[in-house]
Amino acid sequence: MFYILQTSCISPQATYPPPGAGAGIGAAGIGAPRAPVDNMLKAVEPSYEGIPGSVLRRMSKSVKMGVGAALPLLSSVPQGILIGTGNGGMEDSVKFLKQIIDYDEGLLTPGTFVQSTANAIASQIGLLHHNNGYNATYVHRGLAFESALIDAAMLVTEHPGHSYLVGGVDEISNHHYRFEYTEGWYKKEDLSGKDLYTTDSPGSIAGEGSAMFLVSGAGANALAEVKGILTLRSEDDNTVKAAIQAFLERYLPAGTLPDLLLSGENGDNRGFSGYERCEDMMAPDTTIARFKHLCGEYPTASAYALWLACNLPPVLPGHLVKRLSKEKPYRTILIYNQYEFSQHSLILLERSL
Amino acid sequence: MGVISAVGNSLAENRSALRAGQGGITLSRHLPTRYAGILPFGEVPIVTDDLKDKLSVTDPGITRTTLLALHAFREAIADARLTESVLSDPATALVGATTVGGMCLTDELYRDMSGPCEGSAFLSSYDCASVHMYLQDRYKMQGLATTINTACSSSANAIQFGTRLVRNGRARRAIVGGTDSLAKFTINGFNALQILSTGHCRPFDRDRSGLNLGEGAAFLVLEGEEALAEAAGGEAGKKIYAELTGYCNTNDAFHPSALSAEGDGPYLAMKGALLSAGLNATQIDFINTHGTATENNDEAESRAIVRLFREPPPFISTKSYTGHTLGASGAIEAVYSTLSLEYQEIYASLNFEQPIPGIGLQPVQAYGVCPLRHVMSNSFGFGGNCTSLIISKVN
Repeated sequence: MFYILQTSCISPQATYPPPGAGAGIGAAGIGAPRAPVDNMLKAVEPSYEGIPGSVLRRMSKSVKMGVGAALPLLSSVPQGILIGTGNGGMEDSVKFLKQIIDYDEGLLTPGTFVQSTANAIASQIGLLHHNNGYNATYVHRGLAFESALIDAAMLVTEHPGHSYLVGGVDEISNHHYRFEYTEGWYKKEDLSGKDLYTTDSPGSIAGEGSAMFLVSGAGANALAEVKGILTLRSEDDNTVKAAIQAFLERYLPAGTLPDLLLSGENGDNRGFSGYERCEDMMAPDTTIARFKHLCGEYPTASAYALWLACNLPPVLPGHLVKRLSKEKPYRTILIYNQYEFSQHSLILLERSL
Repeated sequence: MGVISAVGNSLAENRSALRAGQGGITLSRHLPTRYAGILPFGEVPIVTDDLKDKLSVTDPGITRTTLLALHAFREAIADARLTESVLSDPATALVGATTVGGMCLTDELYRDMSGPCEGSAFLSSYDCASVHMYLQDRYKMQGLATTINTACSSSANAIQFGTRLVRNGRARRAIVGGTDSLAKFTINGFNALQILSTGHCRPFDRDRSGLNLGEGAAFLVLEGEEALAEAAGGEAGKKIYAELTGYCNTNDAFHPSALSAEGDGPYLAMKGALLSAGLNATQIDFINTHGTATENNDEAESRAIVRLFREPPPFISTKSYTGHTLGASGAIEAVYSTLSLEYQEIYASLNFEQPIPGIGLQPVQAYGVCPLRHVMSNSFGFGGNCTSLIISKVN
């Protein structure tokens, strides 16, 4: 479908600056993972040196993380910018809403209102780089990033020579965290020092981050090729299973299965069986790895997973591995993620090794 | 197609108001805002509870934004004669757009934020995706679904994305559109930007003084030739209104909430749409402009139109009827443009008196019948997001 040429990621781990631009991710990025604090994994933000101070001060955290992760990929000019965000803008929306109520709809300053629109990330990247190209923002909650990927897949088919910046960005908004906590999406007990995956309780830990990809239809020097993407909304086990099966049959050579399954398992015991269902469909020699202990749970966590898949070291750190089946190179990687049980996505990747 | 706006609850009602030159901008009767009796709005004259009853919605946590979407969606699928099985076909995509989403519940959100309570039924309704996830569930839709938010060009991009899904073989048909409801949130936001007019908005007039906010929703059913050929074999009387022939999405890359003086983004979007349709500027018979009636938009859009067309075709702004319906406007105006094509008619742009000095463009000011083959519909938004669509008569 399309090739990933470069990646960049701001996450709760030391994943920034990107590989080659300083500290490598192998050791610093995922070698010794940072643990959650108060059941939240907050992003390690850089100093954002590439963003003018006057602009930076007005940016929300998700806009900062979005622009910050995009900058290293903008040495050439992509023909478009595609961003997925589940709750980008929510924090500024809430700030503006508080102003409305606190000042009883008096005269307000418009800054937070303008920043509160979800398209602020993509448009700020376009603005800072004077990019007049295609510019779109997808907000379909747990499938927002995948929607941007699907758009990228269509764009490179329509314009094979063009390159596009694609990303997924979300921040932990305190209010939104409270809503989701109330709805039971985060753990009630403190997870400090515990293994996310062995807690037998509902809920996960909150996370945030920004992962960016420069993609193109031309594969020279590519890190990987995205071979297939599927999005699905369903709570029916059989429907999901059939969709995964059909996806694997369509995009993998007959009789083969991925070398590695990167599973979105998030410690919520109610969602465990869903991930297990996908694991059961893998071959005995498919290695199974997990990533949400590194980035936490958020609507565009699959963007972090895609970044990780593109940048995995040859030998997987033990904390990633759920089932180690073979030590040979992980060439084909399947990312299976679900958000709030009903939004499912599959991304199939073939790395250039 | 299906549409609901301040000028009507259906395609027929909207067309009838447009033909008669009857705008829907009034002082608000229902809005819970201190500006209700002060500023005019393009309000859909049905209170939320009545909308719920009318649509037999009993689920908790359903917002006005979603109800407006459902209203237009229902009309669109009935108009296109889509059966339940076609709706749940994995080859049927849903591409929606909204900017307000559940933020129309400004006061409820504030209570949920500040109270020690257990939370209301709306906790998962505040985002934009909730609107289209509800439609997905209600109609058991199994196909690709997504939500776009590019501010005021959102639903034009939903139409573009849906068209491309069909062209790329990722869907056989796509139900595309947008919705937004009037909200204390957006009213105060636009008021803070000082671009709300205290009178009826006057698109392209020298003395224009800002926009009127509106609300509404529209959906269009896009089907590829393959799906149409199949339907022609089975279902009689499937109506084909028009063909989406051109589209282009650009970014003005000038300012977070204003267009560049020469309208670079709008110019590139219109030019790109012509290129994608394989048309010359002279072949566009009519433009439904973005025409918000702000000082900035109308001047920038006018300059871009003059730069591209030299002798611009007839144009109007239907925001003088509906107000600016934000994320819904691209879809509502695509429906209006399609009605113009279908009936070979141009509606009058309202409240225009004097052209903008130095530009001199005049919108069409009286209803008229004329031959139309290709029409352009413009939508521009905050963040510089510009999209132009070209809709053409099918031979």
